[in-house]
Amino acid sequence: MKILLKYISFVDAINIWIGRVVMYGLFILMLILLWSSVSKTFFTPSLWTLETAQFAMVAYYMLGGPYSILMGSNVRMDLFYGEWSLRRKAITDLFTVLFLIFYLSVLLYGAIGSTAYSLGYWGADPINFFFGLVTGSEEIGRLERSPTSWRPYIWPIKAIMVTGLFLMLAQVLSELCKDIARLLGHDIPEVKE
Amino acid sequence: MNQEHIALFMFASMMLMLFSGQRVFGAIGAIAAIAAITLWGVGGQDIPFSAAMKLMKWYPLLTLPMFIFMGYVLSESKLADDLYRMFHVWFGNMNGGLAMGTIGLMVLISAMNGLSVAGMAIGATIALPELLRRGYDKKMVTGVVQAGSSLGILVPPSVVLVLYAMIARQPVGQLWLAGILPGLMMAAMFVIYIWIRCRINPELGPVADDLDTVTREEKIKLLGAGALPLIIFASMMVPFLNGWTSLVESSALGALAALIVALLKRRMTWKIFHTCTKQTLGISCMFMWIILAALGFGAVFDGLGAVKAIDTLFTDQLGMSPWMILILMQLSFIIMGTFLDDTAMLVIVAPLYVPLVGELGFDLIWYGILYTITTQIAYMTPPFGYNLFLMKAMAPPEISLRDIYSSIIPFVGIMILALIIVMIFPQIALWLPQYAYQP
Repeated sequence: MKILLKYISFVDAINIWIGRVVMYGLFILMLILLWSSVSKTFFTPSLWTLETAQFAMVAYYMLGGPYSILMGSNVRMDLFYGEWSLRRKAITDLFTVLFLIFYLSVLLYGAIGSTAYSLGYWGADPINFFFGLVTGSEEIGRLERSPTSWRPYIWPIKAIMVTGLFLMLAQVLSELCKDIARLLGHDIPEVKE
Repeated sequence: MNQEHIALFMFASMMLMLFSGQRVFGAIGAIAAIAAITLWGVGGQDIPFSAAMKLMKWYPLLTLPMFIFMGYVLSESKLADDLYRMFHVWFGNMNGGLAMGTIGLMVLISAMNGLSVAGMAIGATIALPELLRRGYDKKMVTGVVQAGSSLGILVPPSVVLVLYAMIARQPVGQLWLAGILPGLMMAAMFVIYIWIRCRINPELGPVADDLDTVTREEKIKLLGAGALPLIIFASMMVPFLNGWTSLVESSALGALAALIVALLKRRMTWKIFHTCTKQTLGISCMFMWIILAALGFGAVFDGLGAVKAIDTLFTDQLGMSPWMILILMQLSFIIMGTFLDDTAMLVIVAPLYVPLVGELGFDLIWYGILYTITTQIAYMTPPFGYNLFLMKAMAPPEISLRDIYSSIIPFVGIMILALIIVMIFPQIALWLPQYAYQP
């Protein structure tokens, strides 16, 4: 039980901290776009703005996702759900959250595979590839680049996506733990700031 | 099982998951992931993630956080107070004038942001208490705020039309232009409705009696408040329509303009700034994750060839004419809208319906407008309308859920009428984009 509560407060704290930083990423995105319009009007149009803005957006919603779950911003269909007691909500979520965990795991697995690809691994076992990188039995191959005139490397944004999905999974597990704790009689509020 | 059955089964299990109250993106995404893996095995597991890469390349989606931020700046910093005061002073001295002024206010707010939430927040927190204090009919004004704020997604800039544009692969600029006239027409219809009702029964909207003390100079000075939305609107639309900036860059300009205006008016404190930024992250993430999940779902659906199957089912097996199918689609859309979450509906229904409409030979710009009006109606209809709950959360406590439910009936009627008018006369939507983009 103690471990459960420790896990909850640990993951929540991390994701709140990350969320508070990432939410100001909005202004980075805004600056990139403003620079893009300025450079287009007065100087030579920049090649890098479009893609950088796209990368910023991906980082924004991937890393901000866990915080949005914490804030309770992710809509649910509360036609019935809204009326239920906290206990009943917890029991239902205990079951349905497994689907969410499955979805996020599939996403994460896909992200890891795609990141391995962007680092030049074309085989079918990306997780072993990363272990191999650590132990030295595998090497980084040909790095994937974006097929645009700017040609940035793709792996950094994919690595960010892996991180975001991992944090998302950790957060959803924390929500699961909260539901278990609630059913065991602990008083945990629905939404955290 | 043949493909139609699989498609139907996927749809049914998704609905079941949604009703269980799990987060919408989880419900959609999980069904997509399970279906992808059971249908295609190895390789299928990459479908949900490849949706994320596809999402990254959807450039117009970058406007989403910008417009959401703009909306929050407008509503949180109470920039619209002066605007409301302007309408108040100019229209208050006639029966129902304040309600008509509120519609005008909503049109201007719609021109400054792309969702209906900001209009709703401003209407419910500024206009509604004032209208109630002056003895306006509770039911009528509740309906006015709800109907008026829903214009936010029809009058440019509109987030719904951006999403539609991406799904239908149509130019956003043309869609936005197409939304202007129907939006104004609908606003005019609301005003006429209020005027007629107050004409028959003046007690619904009493004349404001404290306006005699307001001098002519003050009145003219207040007109300056009307310049505010014009500045913000122009800072976005002028560079965009002239081709100096892209749509996405314009949205950043608009967000910057809203922020600067709020700063200049000394309405932007650290606390408000923090709230706006935080809420923007929350709402943007909600949208992005739902779209991500729905894209995965759509990819599986595409792989099944479900759209083609549904099309043959309707035209060949049931022998319906394109118009009949279109009307049926709008009807089913409204019905679905009453109990499905609106964002989810938008991203689930559009990929199903839009190709079908194209296949039937209709103009996709025109359908975009029909689609948006239908979404507006769906937003407002019980038992599950996003706007209904927002309204309950924001409105003064004396307004019950029952009032809210019954207040929208006449306005939904007007919207359906507007929908029919645009269906019969496509030129209302198409004239402006055709005029602006004529070769």
